[in-house]
Amino acid sequence: MNNKNTTAPTPSAARSRSQLIAIVVAAAIALAGIGLWVFQGSDGFVNTNMRNLDSWGIYIISFMWFVGLSAGGLIISSAPRVFGIAGFGGISKVAVWVSICCTVLAVSFVLVDLGGPLRVWHLFAYANMTSPLMWDIIVLTAYLIISVVYLWASLRVEAGKGSSKALRVLSAIALICAVLVHTVTAWIFGLLQAHELWYTALLGPWFVSSALVSGLALVLLVVIALRKTGYLVLEQENITKMIKLLGVFTAIDLYFFACDLLTAGFPGAAGAHTVGLLTQGPLAPFFWTEVVGGVFALCVAFLPRLRTTPLMVLAAALSVLGILCKRIQLLVGGFQVPNIDYPTVATGPALTDAGAGFAAMNPQLVYMPAPLEIGIVVGVLGLGAVLLLVGLRILPLKPKAENH
Amino acid sequence: MAAQRLGMVIDTDACIACSSCAMACKIENNLPEQNWWNRILTVGGDNQGTPSGTYPDLAMSTITLACQHCENPACTRVCPVGATFKREEDGVVIQDYAKCIGCRMCIAACPYTGVRSFNWEEPHYTVPFAGDADIPAHQKHTVEKCNFCAHRLARGESPACIEVCPARARFFGDLEDPESEPSKLIVKRKHMQLLPEQGTRPSVYYLV
Repeated sequence: MNNKNTTAPTPSAARSRSQLIAIVVAAAIALAGIGLWVFQGSDGFVNTNMRNLDSWGIYIISFMWFVGLSAGGLIISSAPRVFGIAGFGGISKVAVWVSICCTVLAVSFVLVDLGGPLRVWHLFAYANMTSPLMWDIIVLTAYLIISVVYLWASLRVEAGKGSSKALRVLSAIALICAVLVHTVTAWIFGLLQAHELWYTALLGPWFVSSALVSGLALVLLVVIALRKTGYLVLEQENITKMIKLLGVFTAIDLYFFACDLLTAGFPGAAGAHTVGLLTQGPLAPFFWTEVVGGVFALCVAFLPRLRTTPLMVLAAALSVLGILCKRIQLLVGGFQVPNIDYPTVATGPALTDAGAGFAAMNPQLVYMPAPLEIGIVVGVLGLGAVLLLVGLRILPLKPKAENH
Repeated sequence: MAAQRLGMVIDTDACIACSSCAMACKIENNLPEQNWWNRILTVGGDNQGTPSGTYPDLAMSTITLACQHCENPACTRVCPVGATFKREEDGVVIQDYAKCIGCRMCIAACPYTGVRSFNWEEPHYTVPFAGDADIPAHQKHTVEKCNFCAHRLARGESPACIEVCPARARFFGDLEDPESEPSKLIVKRKHMQLLPEQGTRPSVYYLV
């Protein structure tokens, strides 16, 4: 053996080792999650807190959240290339990798929510093309494939192979696909007339703006963390550029929220009840976390004095959290108000345990995740951490001399 | 023969809230524990079986709620695998357990709270088997609901809930046929439908 092993490890060797430990820990969490998922499949969804009245829960909340989180990477990487403007200091490849990881997680969350995961092949064999869920599965698959191809093409162009013109065309396709994927995800909810909170034409564009907020904030968090660990070097001006962009996206997102609340509440009819549910009802903690976090992010983005790294990290973290809160409001709020207005529809003995749960918690939330659901979500997040870290370790994602 | 539109008329004036229809449904279709396709809802006070108002000005009536077999169903459109569909020949909305992947999109889409139920665990029964011999077996992690007793329709019979009603409050037949019992009742009596504003055009009418 050589001398190096007997002396103190170099910083990069130490980094490599701690990275390896992190991968092993994340993989263990992911495996535990798979174990819980198998248990859920065999012992039954009865172990979750979803019931007939609130038939979707934290899995679908996380699905919406991660589809959104995947937006940032692809958009900040492809948009500058499409429009031929300066990028964000070469973080493009890292950003696209984050995006790919998030998309894989989004698909995973749909899978763990399925009652019959062994029947997924039905989706191909018996596809019903009028279903927004079917549209989303198609667009999400296309999105994942295009993201991977786009990353592969970027690496090839950087290595001097492949044409940069083709890459630009590809980035345009990726950008369109990214906008589509958020819109179609919104339609899973927005086209259902049964739920007051969901049925609005605004939901599509709104999902795009929320996706941009959370996605860009996530990329910001990741690159600041990677800069801290020494993985990459990034000029502060690029961070500043990103936080300003985050401010613009946040402003659009909050503007949509305000428009929607006003339209729902103004006639003073059923929609006003929904507005009350959000602003002062059981969903208020999630509503105000989102709004206050959004306003804070706006302040950090647009007041130069506040643009310090810790405050920007806080603003980005609150943006990611805020969109999670948005997803909770949307999903739980959608199920919170039964359409059939007779008391026994929700409290009668004729429903499953949900009836009893609803009655006991009334007027609180109709749904709270069970420990099993939280365990499975953590497991899926562990899978994401494995993907992210392995990618950072084995793929050449560090910034080069290119400028996107 | 022209396509039928099978439907139900329920006389809320005649209904005595005895739950016989819900029980008949449960037994006929061998519904697993905690699973009810047809439920008895009190229209009145804050709890089941309580009236609205203050004595002596009290009011209470009953709605029996099951799948409305809509002419324009919200559920069939959104099912990604076509496991729920409306039959061309008679308009009955069917659920195919063998196709269902358990995504619960139909539950989210259906405006009629709770008429679709998911088997959240392996179906189990207080009595080992009490249902009709022709019903398909219930499956874990699939959605199910009232199918107008499709197995009975195939034998030329009415749904089980129709036959047992001691108050003769339930009527079943082809709504496209002006001579059918439900069609004549709708013409003659004041009636309502649940959530007409949702645009689903239910095939269940309530006489009021």
